[in-house]
Amino acid sequence: MLNSFNTQAVSQPGRWRTFACAVVALAMLAVAPRVPAAESLAATIDAVQAKIVKIYGAGGVRGLEAYQSGFLISAEGHVLTVWSYVLDTDYITATLDDGRRFEAKLVSFDPRLELAVLKVEATELPHFDLAAAVPGEVGTRVLAFSNLFGVATGDEAASVQHGVIAVKTRLDARRGVFETPYHGSVYVLDAMTNNPGAAGGALVNDEGELLGMLGKELRSAQNNIWLNYAMPIDELRASVEAIVAGRDRPAEQDKQDRPDHPADLASLGLVLVPDVLERTPPYVDLVRSGSRAAVSGLKPDDLVVYLGENIVQSCKNLREELGRLERDAELRVVVMRGQELVEVVIKPAGAPEENKP
Amino acid sequence: MIVRLTTNCVTLATLMLSACLADAADSLRQKEEQAIKAAVARVAPSVVRIETVGGLERIGQMLVGTGPTTGLVVSADGFIVSSAFNFVQKPASILVSVPGGGRHAAKLVATDHSRMLVLLKIEADSPLAVPEAAPRGEVRVGQWALAVGRTFEADQPNVSVGIVSARDRIWGKALQTDAKISPNNYGGPLVDIAGRVLGVLVPMSPDAGGEMAGVEWYDSGIGFAVPLEDVLAVLPKWSQGVDLRPGLLGINTKGANIYADLPEIAATRATGPAYKAGLRTGDKIVAAAGSPIARMAELKHRLGRLYAGDKVQLVATRGEQKIEVEVELVDKIEPYEFPFLGVLPKRFVNGAADPGLVVRWVYPDSPAAAAGIQLEDRIMSMGGKAIASASAAAQELLTVEPGQALKLEVKRGDQTLPLEVTLGKLPEALPGELPPAHDELPPPAAEQPAKGVVELKLPEFENNCVAYVPESYRNDLPHGLIVWLHAPGGFEQDKLVELWKPLCDAHGFILLAPQSADKTGWKPTEVRFVRKMVDDVRRRYTIDPARLVAHGHQGGGALAYVLAFTSPDEVKAVAAVDAPLPRGVNPPETEPTRRQAIYTTLATKSELTPAVEAGIERLREARYPLTVKNVGEQSRYLTPEELTELIRWFDTLDRL
Repeated sequence: MLNSFNTQAVSQPGRWRTFACAVVALAMLAVAPRVPAAESLAATIDAVQAKIVKIYGAGGVRGLEAYQSGFLISAEGHVLTVWSYVLDTDYITATLDDGRRFEAKLVSFDPRLELAVLKVEATELPHFDLAAAVPGEVGTRVLAFSNLFGVATGDEAASVQHGVIAVKTRLDARRGVFETPYHGSVYVLDAMTNNPGAAGGALVNDEGELLGMLGKELRSAQNNIWLNYAMPIDELRASVEAIVAGRDRPAEQDKQDRPDHPADLASLGLVLVPDVLERTPPYVDLVRSGSRAAVSGLKPDDLVVYLGENIVQSCKNLREELGRLERDAELRVVVMRGQELVEVVIKPAGAPEENKP
Repeated sequence: MIVRLTTNCVTLATLMLSACLADAADSLRQKEEQAIKAAVARVAPSVVRIETVGGLERIGQMLVGTGPTTGLVVSADGFIVSSAFNFVQKPASILVSVPGGGRHAAKLVATDHSRMLVLLKIEADSPLAVPEAAPRGEVRVGQWALAVGRTFEADQPNVSVGIVSARDRIWGKALQTDAKISPNNYGGPLVDIAGRVLGVLVPMSPDAGGEMAGVEWYDSGIGFAVPLEDVLAVLPKWSQGVDLRPGLLGINTKGANIYADLPEIAATRATGPAYKAGLRTGDKIVAAAGSPIARMAELKHRLGRLYAGDKVQLVATRGEQKIEVEVELVDKIEPYEFPFLGVLPKRFVNGAADPGLVVRWVYPDSPAAAAGIQLEDRIMSMGGKAIASASAAAQELLTVEPGQALKLEVKRGDQTLPLEVTLGKLPEALPGELPPAHDELPPPAAEQPAKGVVELKLPEFENNCVAYVPESYRNDLPHGLIVWLHAPGGFEQDKLVELWKPLCDAHGFILLAPQSADKTGWKPTEVRFVRKMVDDVRRRYTIDPARLVAHGHQGGGALAYVLAFTSPDEVKAVAAVDAPLPRGVNPPETEPTRRQAIYTTLATKSELTPAVEAGIERLREARYPLTVKNVGEQSRYLTPEELTELIRWFDTLDRL
């Protein structure tokens, strides 16, 4: 019997394995016997494949593949894809489903949404109409088309994977969890879609209607799990249309994370227990008399568990969360007092019953 | 004309039919999608979101997740089951959000250490939605299985769709599914297409226990769920706050291949339930819980799902006799300690011609000494059983434990003396001078393998290796084997042989000195090479299995521990000089069938002192017979006198 050594840090297991499954699935779909279900799905797949583009550009060194995926969004050769290092070159090529190879021009890109539009010189191309894109919901069956791992070359069709929409969520709903400038909503998928080279691929429903674009690889800082997801077309449409029309992109309305006057513990009159651990539970040590916290009814030994809708997991976490709020705004706090959860409203500074320090 | 018309009709009909079928197929896929959504909606009210405050940041080398996790309601009054993985960080507080029902502080009531689940309790204001359990007997491989979590959104569950891949996995404890199972849904339900709960999602591994086992399989298409019916069955006991643990029988079985070998009992722990129920060494278990058993794996399967406190019916055969017993499984069996009689056996060429164990030496102050056993006495029987040889005596001794009495029959000259001894524990002191291990030997056969300095090489490894075989070696007299693992920097062959030759010659040992591929030190993976070299030597020479030892200095000492604990059935002792037990190398549980002793040096003021002491403590806790050699303030290798003492200790490893 072998002894176990130290537990390995969680890596990403089975990426290649799942990828292999996907290829098998693709083969099955392609050569499935003549059963109507597969035929109807096959028709959908054929129609979508014609719109998928294999994109080649910069990269090629270890861990940075020199390829990604995209799809046609106009008969005149506009291709929607993700903005990445692959496009960071003067020589981008795009291979259409029929095998035709073009030098692609970068029309423009939107770093905030991490999307880019390319153009190839061709006409009468089969394409998706972004205006006709549809929404999906939890449980919607989906097909993902991409050139993951670069397996398809020339006139080989892209790889198709199937799955369902696991959930629709916002990437910024959990702060700092995903390192990406994209903070819109995403469809989380239950298939291993987001592998190298897959970014820019198309997500469609059973009818072949466009739902979203596959994003770049992302790993949750919260639970170390790789995320498989697509960005809904709704989130991208305005920016893409602006780029295609040659207009300025819509003004970046960056949600400022930092308010002008961030709240802090001192301004509330709160002192927490000494922060000695990596995740010290945020117990209240002291409430300064006459402070906003005192007026609101916070007490020593209260454990702060929620600030607004966000869970507070440690002293450090509470300081960070406070920093995202305006100092003089009303704050809603949930504390654990004994085994009871108690909601406390900290009134805005300068509220009638309180004297400003 | 008519014919053609008919053909056209047929064609048309065919077209229409296939169009209809396509429609039907589409609507089948659509119906399935609707059913999936409906099933998720049905179970959703019972799927709660769990958040934690505080706790550890790392477990071992792994960062612990801080994100929300999932739980499943199992009673209207507030019991919630979840995966133990979700609480591995030992949070200070647990908060549960019930769909539409607000947030609640939760108490961790109890843990199921067998199925890696935890039970939480919240004080809900209104009754919680209890999901319907899918009857276990109705579950079929291939049916839809939907994994549901509530980690991304508080008001919306997340789902992954798959099928039931297998039943009765992980020794009967879990269903397997190809839905994507990960921290995003651990603790949540696996439901059927009707929204009934098949099981609770957990990471699991067939080979390892603990909260983290099986996490490496996340999202891989291999996921596990503990059947909800099994959870509900133990809920009345569990909800009382009783931790549930795997049930142990307290036996060791013979044979190494659990998929091939019959469960024949090699040793029963006297403190274990199997022994108390009447099972004994040599019994063969042929049925458990009403099912016939042909291989060890099947027994493990039957017992795997049982908890400590559960009772199981076992049928065993003892010769012609059939024994039926009911055994109540226990949660813990004390680490095994080897019994000690206090004698060294004499060694013979080709084994002993006459039956019995001839006493080479009696340990002073041992049970044997107390009972008056003398040199050259021949022990003929133990506990009423005739003893054919020293190794048979060692086997027989496994059936008793320290503190127990043992009846002996001893032949001294023409007399046969009945004696009784109370067995002690293995000694930790180093022995003094010993009498010779064997009597005058007959002349050896002419054909003998290579002796002296022998260079060994395996083509698949770049490492070199040298052995020293005493001139007195002969194939009909088993020799001990010392695997010498050098410190970083390697060794000079001439000096090594010069040092070890007199010791090996005097005590009947072969020295095997493998070399690390990189002179600067050993890599843990090189243990494979060392093991192959040992195998190679065992093929060429007759090695006494009781005296195969691993001796290493510094990095070589660490490798000696690795070698010993990854080959616990072969390596009988570790002698580590200036080397702590490496972290992450866990000594296997002591078992009657594996006897390993440890010798370690300890310097009082070396920078390694704390690490060495920590290792000593771990080995003591695991009840290994442990000899600690104090070498003064600073660490160093052994003096010639200390080395002589050490090899004498090696010489006594066939002690009884």
